[in-house]
Amino acid sequence: MKLDGTENGDSMKRFLLALPLIAGLIIIVFMLDLMLGSVNIPFDAILTILTGGTVKESWMNIFWDWRVPKAITAVLVGGALALSGLLMQTYFRNPLADPYILGISSGASLGVAIIMMSAGICGAGAIFARIGLLGDMSISVAAILGAFAVLLLILLISSKIQSNITILILGIMVSYISGALVTILLQFTTESSMHTYSLWTFGSFSGVTWSQLPIMAVPLLAGFILSFCLVKPLNALLLGEQYAESMGMNYNRIRIIIITTTALLAGVVTAFCGPIGFLGIAIPHFCRSFFITADHRVLVPGCILVGGIIALITDIVSHVPGTDIVLPINAITALFGAPVVIWVIVRGTKFGRGVTT
Amino acid sequence: MSDASILTCTGLSIGYRNQKAIVKEVAKDLNLHLDRGELVCLIGPNGSGKSTLIRTLTGIQLPLSGDVLLCDRKIGDFSPEEKAKTLSVVLTSQVQAGYMTAFDIVALGRFPYTNWAGKLTESDREIVLSALASVGAGELTGRFIHEMSDGERQKVMIARALAQEPELMVLDEPTAFLDLPHKIETMRILRNVAQKTKKSILLSIHDLNLAIRCADQLWIIDRRGNLITGTPEDLVLSGIFGSAFEIEGVHFDAIRGEFSIPVERRGTFLLSASESVERIWTLYALERIGFVPAGNAAPDISVSVRMDENGPRWYYSHPAGEHNCGSIRELVECISVHHNGGDNH
Repeated sequence: MKLDGTENGDSMKRFLLALPLIAGLIIIVFMLDLMLGSVNIPFDAILTILTGGTVKESWMNIFWDWRVPKAITAVLVGGALALSGLLMQTYFRNPLADPYILGISSGASLGVAIIMMSAGICGAGAIFARIGLLGDMSISVAAILGAFAVLLLILLISSKIQSNITILILGIMVSYISGALVTILLQFTTESSMHTYSLWTFGSFSGVTWSQLPIMAVPLLAGFILSFCLVKPLNALLLGEQYAESMGMNYNRIRIIIITTTALLAGVVTAFCGPIGFLGIAIPHFCRSFFITADHRVLVPGCILVGGIIALITDIVSHVPGTDIVLPINAITALFGAPVVIWVIVRGTKFGRGVTT
Repeated sequence: MSDASILTCTGLSIGYRNQKAIVKEVAKDLNLHLDRGELVCLIGPNGSGKSTLIRTLTGIQLPLSGDVLLCDRKIGDFSPEEKAKTLSVVLTSQVQAGYMTAFDIVALGRFPYTNWAGKLTESDREIVLSALASVGAGELTGRFIHEMSDGERQKVMIARALAQEPELMVLDEPTAFLDLPHKIETMRILRNVAQKTKKSILLSIHDLNLAIRCADQLWIIDRRGNLITGTPEDLVLSGIFGSAFEIEGVHFDAIRGEFSIPVERRGTFLLSASESVERIWTLYALERIGFVPAGNAAPDISVSVRMDENGPRWYYSHPAGEHNCGSIRELVECISVHHNGGDNH
């Protein structure tokens, strides 16, 4: 990739040049996501629906009740995961950090496991029989409570401990503890609860209904706005905590905002779509290579847009267009995403740029 | 206080404490003074408390007692942003930031001046570019920091500190990772910055020879935590400099202004040559292999340097005859063969 535009060291211009391309791409994949699925709706039918016309009733239902909320969810969730991954990689200055490194999603998983298993154990399995792809608010509430509990724990401890490595290890330990508790719960549960739980861990964009969409979208958009407000301190943190403080940044305040924003984004995503992996760790790296910069004024909007695009593509692939098969999102993200990222990174190293934070 | 005073400390004690008690006092009763445009080198043996002093002077660590006055104002009274506009730092730890150009890094120095999004104005840009130019890193502007050598990276970090437009720049061992020519270059850049921009510079350094030659003022901490300040030349002449650093078997050579490497003494020499570079390096070579000047006594060996049309020749005379050598290497080999420890003193 050429370095045009870096003569004066400004990566913003290059980003603004690429912006129409990215915006166009996101519209195209959004349309494709609306068209493709177990029933393919042709493009002109989509246009008819969008301009207020009528087509086959089954298409109308699929389109409005199913495809549109799913596509909006995918865009928001992809952006949120990429963004929270970016925040964590910059905060910990570690290329392996992802949105879940603080243990947020593990807390959410524990909440979900408790709700599902207790229902199973109490013999109330019938109530939850409909769970699965249609989703249920009780799962979201349980997940948010679990994520929130972990966030409180992390904030409490980080007010006492300065070192971000300690917080990193702490988050990993919280994940292990939650994982252990989930395993114990699974041991005593019914087979159907276990199946429901494992379906939830596969991740899905399809569980969010129109009534749930605003509840998910508002906190995610708040997280996006908070991230835009963080671009300057995030850039300063690239030089490390000590330099950032020497330039007048209030480190303690900023890290609380970073941790809370990440928890908000990752927690809400997990609550509504399950613990979707890979996107959060890979997209920030992809964006750095693609935009050839570590400047967060480029990376924050870049991650939101690229995250949205990739989540939409993932969703299209996972529904295997033209068939009734639905593959787990988590399998698709890793299976198709990893080779792409490997290619981007390996190609990068030829120019002396590998994975860097 | 004169208005030229940038940093003043009176009765400063530095060290570490936990919640209540003082755990370790590193140094006490420090009285320090740093003027505008002055370059001060802080030197001292490992473990003497250089880093603690630097951390205290930059306000990262609280003093045990006494005050640090930055521009006649207590450093604790500064807001983080005000402090950033008065004091900038270059840390020892190397920056591992990928995908950042030199321009991006130096632009971060504008942090205390830019708006919430860190947007650079035209004047910010000019300051960044001129900071890069004044450290001789103009051609690095668009290059990525992770593709730079240690020396180039250090220049960029100095430019970043400069772009912060402070009154005082504090550098913690800025020459630590560099080879000798780059050490000297870094010191030259800092001297230039101090003289041209009238910024004050405080740096800690391990290289004593460089410190003596570059600093307007030396602050020496010895092993007991005593701090001595003064012009380098005064400190050398009074013998304070040597005594602060000499350890068993290593002595400070006040004439050369460096620490001599002790060698086993093998004899005395008489060197006859005109004043020239060849004479000086022949002298060094003889000292290196263990000979000292004979003075008025009879020498064990005598060496003379004469110039002919092809360059210098070395003549080594000993009781058995004279050798004509084309290089110092030959001379040294000759002396080793013929002065085979036979009449050691």
